[in-house]
Amino acid sequence: MNRIVVLLAGLLCSGFGVLAQSSTPDVPIFSGALAFQGTSSAGAHSYTPIIVPVFVAPLGDHWLVESRGELQGFIAREDGTTGPYNGQFFASFDYLQLDYIANSHLTVTVGRFLTPFNIYNERCPLWIANLVDTPIIYTIGTRTSGSSNGGMVRGVAIARPKWNLTYSAYASAATTVENLQAGRTAGGRAAVFVPEAGFEAGVSYQRFLQNGGSNASGFYFAYQPPAIPFDVRAEYAHSPGGQGYWLEGAYRIAPNRDMNTWLSRLQPVARVQQYFKGTPTSIDALPSVNVNQFDVGLNYYFPHNVRLNGSYGRQYSTAGNFNVWNFEIVYRFLFPAWPGGSK
Amino acid sequence: MRMRGLSILGLLVLACFPAIAALAQSSGSKTKTVQSTKSEADEGERRFRQNCGRCHNPPDALSPREVKAVLQHMRVRAMLSAEDERLILKYLAP
Repeated sequence: MNRIVVLLAGLLCSGFGVLAQSSTPDVPIFSGALAFQGTSSAGAHSYTPIIVPVFVAPLGDHWLVESRGELQGFIAREDGTTGPYNGQFFASFDYLQLDYIANSHLTVTVGRFLTPFNIYNERCPLWIANLVDTPIIYTIGTRTSGSSNGGMVRGVAIARPKWNLTYSAYASAATTVENLQAGRTAGGRAAVFVPEAGFEAGVSYQRFLQNGGSNASGFYFAYQPPAIPFDVRAEYAHSPGGQGYWLEGAYRIAPNRDMNTWLSRLQPVARVQQYFKGTPTSIDALPSVNVNQFDVGLNYYFPHNVRLNGSYGRQYSTAGNFNVWNFEIVYRFLFPAWPGGSK
Repeated sequence: MRMRGLSILGLLVLACFPAIAALAQSSGSKTKTVQSTKSEADEGERRFRQNCGRCHNPPDALSPREVKAVLQHMRVRAMLSAEDERLILKYLAP
């Protein structure tokens, strides 16, 4: 534990050392989101207030310290559907990393970072995700916490006017310290992105180097054309614990992304997912039965970065079929971390 | 006397040439810079739509220093190139 804390503190100190030497008037920022979620799953109601603060401190043109935490409450009835409401509180550190941006082809990251497996973990924080619930296969390839403690290299391997090839490769040490958990893993991701079409497809691999060792693999695609507010994303992932996929589509009701009317602020969304069990283990946090689920929802984007979301889903499995209702209000914020930064 | 007056006038006109030329050049250069900045902002907007616009709309008004921090963050997250960062900065904080 001490070594991890000393390492993370050292990263921060070295970062601020560079800041002190920098002549560029950089300004650190606080960003993130405040959210309140309400869920009814199989008749059990729960309420979740969340704050996700993000801290970003550029240190000249090449160095960056960035961090994200998550403070979350969970209020639910004592016995699921009966009894008085009780509240619990959780806190976690998603990342605390020092980046060295060498050039477009290479960024070196050390510290605690989000595990780059498929797209959901890195690209769908709660203010971006179209639906409240994470996909069933989310834990495949992101064991044990969605974050890794170690080092990562990433960048654009090949850049062409019409397409580019991006990559990420990382290694993580096992950590059991509370709020800083990570698995002993190594892996990577490679993707092809066609900017003009808004199309991206990629593959991911992770070798879990604990508990006898196992592999997780996956692929994904995203189609988000620049001209129309259409958003399609899908992932497939496989591990010894199970395999499955999700496919999600969302459309803001407008002929283009510039339109700003009450109708264009509405975004219907739908997702289907299927999961097939393998040999689940405790570290996978995967269902022990096959599961099918669909969700339909509606987002409304208010001015000033406020979004309202409501969704209904139904889950089918041999353990029982049930309804899932979700409601969420999210406020995205961003402000300079010290006075005068907004000038 | 008349010749002398004409000579002085001629010298004055000649002396003005470099100033006029410099003025014309400066005005042309300013026009060129404005055009270049505008076209770079347009290109920045195009790159914003292709990369950032996939997940979110442009942020509310931010200062150039705030935008720089955001762009460095997104350069790591979304693997933007140095050129993307420079041009999107021109678009978001001209």
